[in-house]
Amino acid sequence: MDANNNVAAFVFLSPWLLGMICLTLGPILASFYLSLTSYDMFSAPKWIGFDNYIKMAFEDGRYYQSLKVTFSYVLLSVPLKLAFALGIAMLLNRGLRGLGFYRSVFYLPSLLGGSVAVAIMWRQVFSYDGIINQILMKFGIDGPSWITSTDYALYTLVALAVWQFGSPMVIFLAGLKQIPQDIYDAAEVDGAGPVRKFMSITIPMLTPIIFFNFVMQIIGAFQAFTPAYIISGGKGGPADATLFYTLYLYEQAFTNFQMGYASAMAWVLVGIIGTATAASFLSARYWVHYGDER
Amino acid sequence: MSVEMNRRALLRQGASLIGAAAASSLPLASSFSQEKVRVRFAGYVESQEQLTQTLAALKLYTQKNPNVEIIPEFTSFGAFTDKIATETAGGNSPDMFSVNVDLLAEYARRGVTTPLDSYIPNPINLSDYLQSAVNAAKFDGKQYAIPNDAIGPAIITNASAFEKAGVKIPADMWTWEELAETASALNKALGPRFWGVEDAGGNYIPCDIFLRSRGKSMFTQDHRLGFELEDMEAWYAYWQKLRDTRATPPGDVQALAGNDDPSTSGVVAGRAAMNITLTDSFAGFQALTQDNLILHMMPNGFRGGEMKQRHYCYAGNSTTVSAKSANQKQVIDIIRFMHLDPDGAKTYYVGSGMIPCSKAARDAFAATGSEADRKIIAYLDVLQKEPAAPRYPGVPGMTGMLTRANEGVAFGKLTPKQAAEQFVREVSARLKK
Repeated sequence: MDANNNVAAFVFLSPWLLGMICLTLGPILASFYLSLTSYDMFSAPKWIGFDNYIKMAFEDGRYYQSLKVTFSYVLLSVPLKLAFALGIAMLLNRGLRGLGFYRSVFYLPSLLGGSVAVAIMWRQVFSYDGIINQILMKFGIDGPSWITSTDYALYTLVALAVWQFGSPMVIFLAGLKQIPQDIYDAAEVDGAGPVRKFMSITIPMLTPIIFFNFVMQIIGAFQAFTPAYIISGGKGGPADATLFYTLYLYEQAFTNFQMGYASAMAWVLVGIIGTATAASFLSARYWVHYGDER
Repeated sequence: MSVEMNRRALLRQGASLIGAAAASSLPLASSFSQEKVRVRFAGYVESQEQLTQTLAALKLYTQKNPNVEIIPEFTSFGAFTDKIATETAGGNSPDMFSVNVDLLAEYARRGVTTPLDSYIPNPINLSDYLQSAVNAAKFDGKQYAIPNDAIGPAIITNASAFEKAGVKIPADMWTWEELAETASALNKALGPRFWGVEDAGGNYIPCDIFLRSRGKSMFTQDHRLGFELEDMEAWYAYWQKLRDTRATPPGDVQALAGNDDPSTSGVVAGRAAMNITLTDSFAGFQALTQDNLILHMMPNGFRGGEMKQRHYCYAGNSTTVSAKSANQKQVIDIIRFMHLDPDGAKTYYVGSGMIPCSKAARDAFAATGSEADRKIIAYLDVLQKEPAAPRYPGVPGMTGMLTRANEGVAFGKLTPKQAAEQFVREVSARLKK
């Protein structure tokens, strides 16, 4: 019986398993091998051991620039996005009518999130003669060209990420709905104000949700590619101000034909994301409270 | 219980049936194509018009040769370079594809494409083609590609803006110093949000011509660097001086102009009077502005130095043949049809925005083409009076290297000397490979 069950299960799983082995696991292992070679995509890969990794660490100034850009982006965009998402979720959680409508509207930007069209629109909004500068003009301020200035280009991308707060917001909203009202009522009787209630009830009760969103957003932010690619015309410019890790990886692979080096970069990125995720999980025991723990 | 068992068994059977059906459908599909020669033709186009005419020419060919099926895979240049690299790496390169000078070197060097000398002059006769374009499609002395068009470097110049500013359009033979002075004068007359010339510090061709004005060149015939560090430093310092004198826009304004896209350029947006580019963009620029645009040469020397025509003509787009293609003869016949068959060539070129590489076709265009076509042909004829040394192949990604170094200077992150060092370091690393 059980054996039969297992056979049936594997038969149904087989398309996915085959896909997983041939299309995911295979290439992952192949890319690890390639990361130890010099491979220009045309001639056979040449074994060079850890030279790609050594070059990355000691000889490639642009590699450090791409790390700097990516870390700045992660450290800025993730907390801002989560704060924004939580704020909007709190507003929506006040029992207003037409909640479904607002929830959908606020979710829209994330739905369009990775799309090329949104990135192009963003480029227009923040360009030299875009709408932001036209509004500033009304106040007599001569705005800079946001997307093409080394000082501001990265912040426009952070703003774009924050604007796509929809998916953590929906999850926060679900989390807020789960907090029993009687806890708030009890706090009120004890004379707690809104700030106290937020700090002592909402945040602690939400920590599992915050943790989940935090990990997902960190992973996503490290892998950001599309907006930077479109907004900087695929170059990470101006002067490497928006050279995201993924963008530089792509350039090494497809512009410079350095597929071995790009594979090595990909593996280091796996390591970075893995470390960040592990650190989040290790820290979780100190600040995440699950309802069933006393 | 037993019913459930049966249902499971049925499901299991069903699943394997579906799998079997899926597997058997593969050979079925391939038995449709009978005796047809299938040719994959991949490439890049500069405009919708060029795409329309290219597809029409290929369709005409298959109408005349029903045994041939051509699968066109055309896209923009940026998308094409990634695609062709990936396909070639996967052992899946198309039978024929477009290349520019740098891609040609990259693919010929690696044996991806095949020399075509045995097909010249019969059936492909290039005797009345622009010889500089034919030579630019050679690598290691062998003809690796057939040039499709003729282009030359030029400054697209807004004559209306010069008139409005009361600045005289300079003579054909002028110096780099005069370009700086003229551009600055335009800013004084029409500024502050109008600059004389768009920043070309990140642009390969003007840089090459600047180096040639100093008696050097970007690359040599044997694929090495043809200049010293101080030559490159002079280039970046030149553009820095133009920024300081408001002859060229500051970095953040210049960065608004995308790569080679006329619609974002300063000339079209009304921010600048001159844009240094190639003749094949001219029609695109003119279509986007009411002002009168003309083609003008870049400077050909420095004050007190040697003045000489240094603008080489070459093909912006050439067709090359994959070394692995099983249908090389067929591919050659398609190229012959597009270039030398009267109907084929007419369909391929007329209304495409490309200027043909053959003298006879250019003469026909000069009589019947659009005004923009005629201006380009007249300009190319001027360059032909005193042909310059040809362009030598460089390396892919070079424009990015030049641009980064130039932006580094423009945004105050690098000195011209550091920018030159950075560029030389990056480009040398690519040449060695």
